Amino acid sequence: MSSSTTLAQILERPDVWRGDALARAALPGVPTGFADLDRELPGGGWPRGGLTELLPRRHGVGELSLLLPALARLSRDELAWLVCIAPPYLLYAPALQAGGVDLSRLLVASAPGRDAAWACERSLAADGVGAIVAWLPEVQAAPLRRLQLAAEASQSLLFVFRPAACASQPSPAPLRLVLEGEGEHLVVHLLKRRGSAQPLPLPIAVQRPLYLRHALARPASALAAARSLPRTAVA
Amino acid sequence: MAGRRLAEARALLPDLAVRERAVEREQAALRRLACWAGGFTSEVCCLPPSMLLLEVAASLRLFGGAAKLFTGVVAGCIAQGHLPQAALAPTPLAAQWLAIGGGDQCCRTLDELPHRLGSLPLSVLALAAADEARLVSFGARSLADLLRWPRAGLARRLGPGLVADLARALGELPDPRRRFVFPELFADRLELPMRVEHAPALGWAARRLIDALCGWLAARGGGISECIFEFGHESGARQRPATVLVLGLAGATRDPERIGRVLGERLQRLHLPVAVEGIGLRAEAPTALAGHSRSLFAERGEGAGGESMAGLLERLQARLGDDGVHALSAVADHRPENAWRRVAAASLTGGRSPPSPFLAAALRHSAAGPRPLCLLAQPQALREQAGRPQCGGPLRLLAGPERIESGWWDAAEPDALGDVCRDYFVAISRRDEWLWIFRSQAGWFLHGVFA
Repeated sequence: MSSSTTLAQILERPDVWRGDALARAALPGVPTGFADLDRELPGGGWPRGGLTELLPRRHGVGELSLLLPALARLSRDELAWLVCIAPPYLLYAPALQAGGVDLSRLLVASAPGRDAAWACERSLAADGVGAIVAWLPEVQAAPLRRLQLAAEASQSLLFVFRPAACASQPSPAPLRLVLEGEGEHLVVHLLKRRGSAQPLPLPIAVQRPLYLRHALARPASALAAARSLPRTAVA
Repeated sequence: MAGRRLAEARALLPDLAVRERAVEREQAALRRLACWAGGFTSEVCCLPPSMLLLEVAASLRLFGGAAKLFTGVVAGCIAQGHLPQAALAPTPLAAQWLAIGGGDQCCRTLDELPHRLGSLPLSVLALAAADEARLVSFGARSLADLLRWPRAGLARRLGPGLVADLARALGELPDPRRRFVFPELFADRLELPMRVEHAPALGWAARRLIDALCGWLAARGGGISECIFEFGHESGARQRPATVLVLGLAGATRDPERIGRVLGERLQRLHLPVAVEGIGLRAEAPTALAGHSRSLFAERGEGAGGESMAGLLERLQARLGDDGVHALSAVADHRPENAWRRVAAASLTGGRSPPSPFLAAALRHSAAGPRPLCLLAQPQALREQAGRPQCGGPLRLLAGPERIESGWWDAAEPDALGDVCRDYFVAISRRDEWLWIFRSQAGWFLHGVFA
């Protein structure tokens, strides 16, 4: 066996990725519903069996809307369960339903403090859970690491919301996104992913509440001029 | 030390610990074991003081053959805290004799039986001492001699009883036994060998009771969705009432693992005022629970190695409380606060009930304006400056107004929202937060966030 085949074999392994390419995921991801974002994620979507850390700069930039297409798809098409853990606000059922989420597949657990990470771990161990969305503002590195290991043993999506201030701290999550509002768009900074670094921020056209009959104004969209990135349709 | 007097035994072994025999507790233990055996077969026979017969012919296939069933029963007995001498034979009497003769024997066919029984000593027959002495004087050393001798002569010398027993053991005569009657309601109590002060340590002891409960449920074809544990405290000068733990489950079950897990979570949170000496378990309302067929291929959410959704729900509820886990439901009402409802999560895992077409149509119709994914529990008042609402700077109104008003019909009810008159707007803050605000007669309010 020549050394080049050995090297090729090593490069075939799913846990090895080259710095200039996206890693191949063992399982295809769940499409995010945004083609621009799918292109940039290893596995072509939200990774199954991995911790995804979402770091919104502010509450209300559209951080949950970013997940909504994938959650709707999991609950409606795959009949999988969704578990929301420790949401800081009331999750509003009519809006979730309008977003396509099957409410009969959704559980909400209000777990205070350390119980939240525990609830995540238990949910990951259960069969039939498609996605877990957890708000863990004060989680430490060790529980986060445990969650990542538990996620690897499952096929569920695990989204953890943490404050954007955590972006500077190291994290075991293989995918970390900083979310920022900018006019009508949600701008995604891919802080960390398996594969080459993505320095450019990604404007995502999440569903914005502008379909009312009497729209008063449009938010200023200085984005198109400022960036030369290809853009998809604006809502 | 069998057969010696106490003084003699003490002389031989000065540090002998002597306990009085508690016949009642022995019988209770046998009954508990009989209930537990219901998990293997419904045909159980109790032979006090210390023998249990299980008719397992009908269970062999379910448990994967005689050898697996046998080891399963023995291991289960050990887990129940008993050291069994077990034997398996085609007739009940042969099984009894093999067990008394040392146990750990598996004899599957009648042809094999004379050979297996032949090696047993005469003592397994438990004859009167005079009869056994007579047999020895005839030259009998083991059961093989008895089986070889002509039966008519034996019957003449020792009466027909022994000969009939031999015939029953060999399957030549029928041997009907009185079945153990599984009680209508399960109530059992276990004395702990030592005092337990920490609640989590009670789990392993309670597991014996749970196994017995599940065997009883299996024999009766039932399941429970609630059972009551009572932790009895040590009796002393200050007798305390027992600590009662009512264990609720998401659905009827007879899976000991599932009940044990839920109990474990509850015990983690239980505070014991004083040490526990005994555990009681009561199941008062068993419901019919049909057995299920095993599928050829593992299905999603079942048997794939993980926990089922109902199991997850129970664990979450056991730790977070019943209010800690809930599901959401949309309600046809135009007022935002009334357009949703918490529902018990257990209603979901039981089975899927599609929303009524009427409700679905009403919801579609009502979805006129945008609704935020996050709603504030209470509308939060906003300052107004120069005619514009403020929330970390002036807000820009992007869409609206959507008028939501009226609701006089429940104004008189307690905790109801009553009449409202609000104009809702979608607003964006300077920091690019998308907000749902309204203006009423009292001013501007923040009511939701388009997260």
